[in-house]
Amino acid sequence: MENLDNLIICKHCDTLQKRVKLPKGSVAKCVECNKILYRNVKDAFHKSIAYSITALILFIVANLFPILNISIGGQKSSLRIFDMIYMLYNEGFFVVGSILIVVLVISPLVVMFSYLTLALIIYLKIFKSVARYIISFLIISRDWEMLDIFFISILVALVKLIGYAEVEFGVSFYALLGFIIVNIFILRNIKVVELWTMFSREYNVKKR
Amino acid sequence: MSKRDNYISCKFCESVNRYSDSNKDIYCRTCKNKIGNGKEASLSTAWALLITSIIFYIIANSFPILVVEKFGVTSSNTIIGGVIALWEEGSYPIAAIIFIASVFVPILKFFLILYILINYKKPQGGSRKVDQAKLYHITEIIGPWSMVDVFVVAILTGVVHMSAVKITAGVGATAFVLMVFFTMLSAMSIDIRFIKEGKNGD
Repeated sequence: MENLDNLIICKHCDTLQKRVKLPKGSVAKCVECNKILYRNVKDAFHKSIAYSITALILFIVANLFPILNISIGGQKSSLRIFDMIYMLYNEGFFVVGSILIVVLVISPLVVMFSYLTLALIIYLKIFKSVARYIISFLIISRDWEMLDIFFISILVALVKLIGYAEVEFGVSFYALLGFIIVNIFILRNIKVVELWTMFSREYNVKKR
Repeated sequence: MSKRDNYISCKFCESVNRYSDSNKDIYCRTCKNKIGNGKEASLSTAWALLITSIIFYIIANSFPILVVEKFGVTSSNTIIGGVIALWEEGSYPIAAIIFIASVFVPILKFFLILYILINYKKPQGGSRKVDQAKLYHITEIIGPWSMVDVFVVAILTGVVHMSAVKITAGVGATAFVLMVFFTMLSAMSIDIRFIKEGKNGD
């Protein structure tokens, strides 16, 4: 019986293979499909903290200020995420409003807070038992986080509005763009399997 | 490693788990989360959720998703109606995006899930058949993109509430959002162990 901890299954092609210890800063690739299996990221927790704090700040900005300012025939209005959801509730669309709260507000917050707390747990070496719940939360809410799709929708809505309204971008438009870019960095640089290996004693991350 | 069918990667912590009976629930050995539901439960859940979402999709398409009130005159658009209106206005790319996001993607997703459910655990010989694990991957990726139309409606509702023009969501939006929600749940409830068995089940 081989130790299951020394194995890994490629997410893309399901090939079972052995793990190897990696030197810092290098990447392990799948033998079948050559996609990245896992990395030994330099300072993964520092990066995790930096990215998640950046993302949180951008997220707060994106929620506080208007995304778009429009005026139609002299009347002005602006688009803010909370106002939009409040508007939907006001019009009686509870289901739509609630789902939008989940996918646009709660999930991104949970994701970023999870990254942050995970990094802090690793760094401070406290509350290790909570870590696995946080990872589960993280994975579940990552599936429901749709700010990137929301951003594309803003562009689509823009085209619809541009015919009869004067539109200008607000601060939050750029904050939202920044959030999405940081999120892409997080997804590229911090993989769950690495976060997890940081806790488990078995692999490459027994460094400090 | 010839018996690779009996290994599964946990979807939460990605650690490798071994199992013998795929009809039982399986919990990850590292993070203790539930990875798979067992065949019967996961099949019937996925079917139920899929049928629910198809019903919601029909409702979403037969009621207006967008209501525009211009100088007191109310006009409403269904999804298809909106696409046709955009096409006639000449904004072809946007019409195409909306069409792909809210008509093509949901239907594609229904068919992908249907295909997976029908071929569930049927042995697939050789490489000429479609790779189910890949199909499952595709459904996971394209799923949320059908939200574009709902987001657009929400944005327009949030921003266009002048005295002259007022845009609100329609009943269709609620049905549509529920459709997306249930399709995602349906895809999530499929036990990946059987997809894998189908893949090498000869």
